[in-house]
Amino acid sequence: MVSVSENTPLLRVEDITKSFGAVQALRGITFDLVRGTVMALVGDNGAGKSTLAKILSGVHPPTSGQFYLNGQSCRFDRPAAALAAGIETVYQNLALIEELDVADNVYLGRETTRGGAIGRLFGILDRPAMRQHTAKALSQLHIKIPAPTLAVRKMSGGQRQAVAIGRALTWGRELFILDEPTAALGVDETEQVLRMIERLREEHGLTFIIISHNMQDVYRIADTIVVLRQGRHVATLAKNDTTPEEIVAYITGAKE
Amino acid sequence: MIGTQTLPRQFNWRPFFQKYGLLMSLLLLCLALSVASDRFLTSDNLLNVLRQSSINGIISIGMMMVILTRGIDLSVGSVLALSAVIGADMLKNEGMPVLQAIGICLLVGAAAGAVNGFLVSWVNIPPFIATLGMMTFARGAAKFYTDGQPITGLDSLGQGFRYLGTAEVGPIPMPIIVAGLVFLGGAVLLNHVPFGRFIFGLGNNEEAAYLSGLPVNRIKLFVYMAAGTLSALAGIILVGRLNSAQPTAGEMYEFDAIAAVVVGGTSFDGGEGTVMGTLIGVLIIGIINNGLNLLDVSAFYQDITKGAVIALALLLHRAIR
Repeated sequence: MVSVSENTPLLRVEDITKSFGAVQALRGITFDLVRGTVMALVGDNGAGKSTLAKILSGVHPPTSGQFYLNGQSCRFDRPAAALAAGIETVYQNLALIEELDVADNVYLGRETTRGGAIGRLFGILDRPAMRQHTAKALSQLHIKIPAPTLAVRKMSGGQRQAVAIGRALTWGRELFILDEPTAALGVDETEQVLRMIERLREEHGLTFIIISHNMQDVYRIADTIVVLRQGRHVATLAKNDTTPEEIVAYITGAKE
Repeated sequence: MIGTQTLPRQFNWRPFFQKYGLLMSLLLLCLALSVASDRFLTSDNLLNVLRQSSINGIISIGMMMVILTRGIDLSVGSVLALSAVIGADMLKNEGMPVLQAIGICLLVGAAAGAVNGFLVSWVNIPPFIATLGMMTFARGAAKFYTDGQPITGLDSLGQGFRYLGTAEVGPIPMPIIVAGLVFLGGAVLLNHVPFGRFIFGLGNNEEAAYLSGLPVNRIKLFVYMAAGTLSALAGIILVGRLNSAQPTAGEMYEFDAIAAVVVGGTSFDGGEGTVMGTLIGVLIIGIINNGLNLLDVSAFYQDITKGAVIALALLLHRAIR
């Protein structure tokens, strides 16, 4: 067991680069993320935000550089490894199985099986328990869905987003990465998601990385803001020391 | 509640057909054949249909799992032949005990399936191409292994190897019981254990399945291995019934299996299908074969009819979705 000192950041990213063939998507990203804070990852299209998120969630290995979770070096060769380490990601396309119902999606890959001799021998799914726990977990998060037995394909964009976030929050222990969590949502739904993030940070001390295009949202919920431009890490700003205008200036390159 | 009114609604046929269309087709087919031939609706003939369908049924469950992952397995018939001739040879020429020979036979099927699964998942070869290769390879290997000659006279070695093909429990032939158990196992696997969720999840959205941490490659490996093993099991039954293992056995069996699965409502887009649907699909194909024989339709017309029925089933599937 590695002792985690008070000063060890939850996540340390050290000089990460990523190339896809001749394209350099990331050119040296370095930052620390303190437990219980919200970091916004901002930048224009193609700045490398999603690529960085995919490295942290085990989809791509970095070309060079390291990252550490609680001081321990992470080498994820697939998403399952990041999930096992406690990093949950809500992807922009949500990564839900549309034909399966809410409970099956929340529990996908982590199914509960029945007790009893036959249940244990064959690993029979415990559907009632999964549905009950899903309904309970989502309502604790103030996530409203019609029923845990509803197929995801029959749900609205906001409901799907809620299910994807609910799944992440059900299982994640360390870090939550949300890629454009409000891009597909209406005004009310956006407000609900932002409130949920604020509440989870304040009441449960959860740690988030949020990728967003929306400066208002970013400025409202983030503690720190990391700005990427064309794969370069151009600024790390504390919200209290900056303004939305300054963030935009860094994003567009008006300010270096 | 005030303000809500129940409007007289027209009966909505679409969900009704989605749910019962397949069963209705089966019943209509039975009805038509019992009118056309007085030999159709006899207990002997119906038992005969079930027995003849059991081999296709066993193969179809494996085929269904493969198609649920957006794959296809064209090699089932050839793998059946290869595993059957090797199993029979072990029994007859190597003097192996029956259970061991059956074990070898199933292992050959599993190994051929493992090669398919490995090529499709880790090497990322399209399933159509990978299993087309296995189809040719296994058929060639079966002919090479036997020098093109059938292995016959398995009777003299005791009934053991032929048990699954020939025994009866009461009035029920053993192949029907084996097929029943395979369908039961398939239903449990697909609907009641986590791995079944993985198969549906992978077929429905492979990227989401991968991002959700599912072992995508191992799931594919499993379904192709299941298809190969079930083909070998079907081969043991066929050898039992014919009392010979032929290198040409199982030709075009992939066609009947694919037909049963798609007629049964499993989508080629993956992630959608039911074991009950596949069962009905197997019965429809079996009854068509049986009916055309009862009506003395020539073999050429039989193939034409089956092809047309499958095209029709796919059209209907599109239309009612």
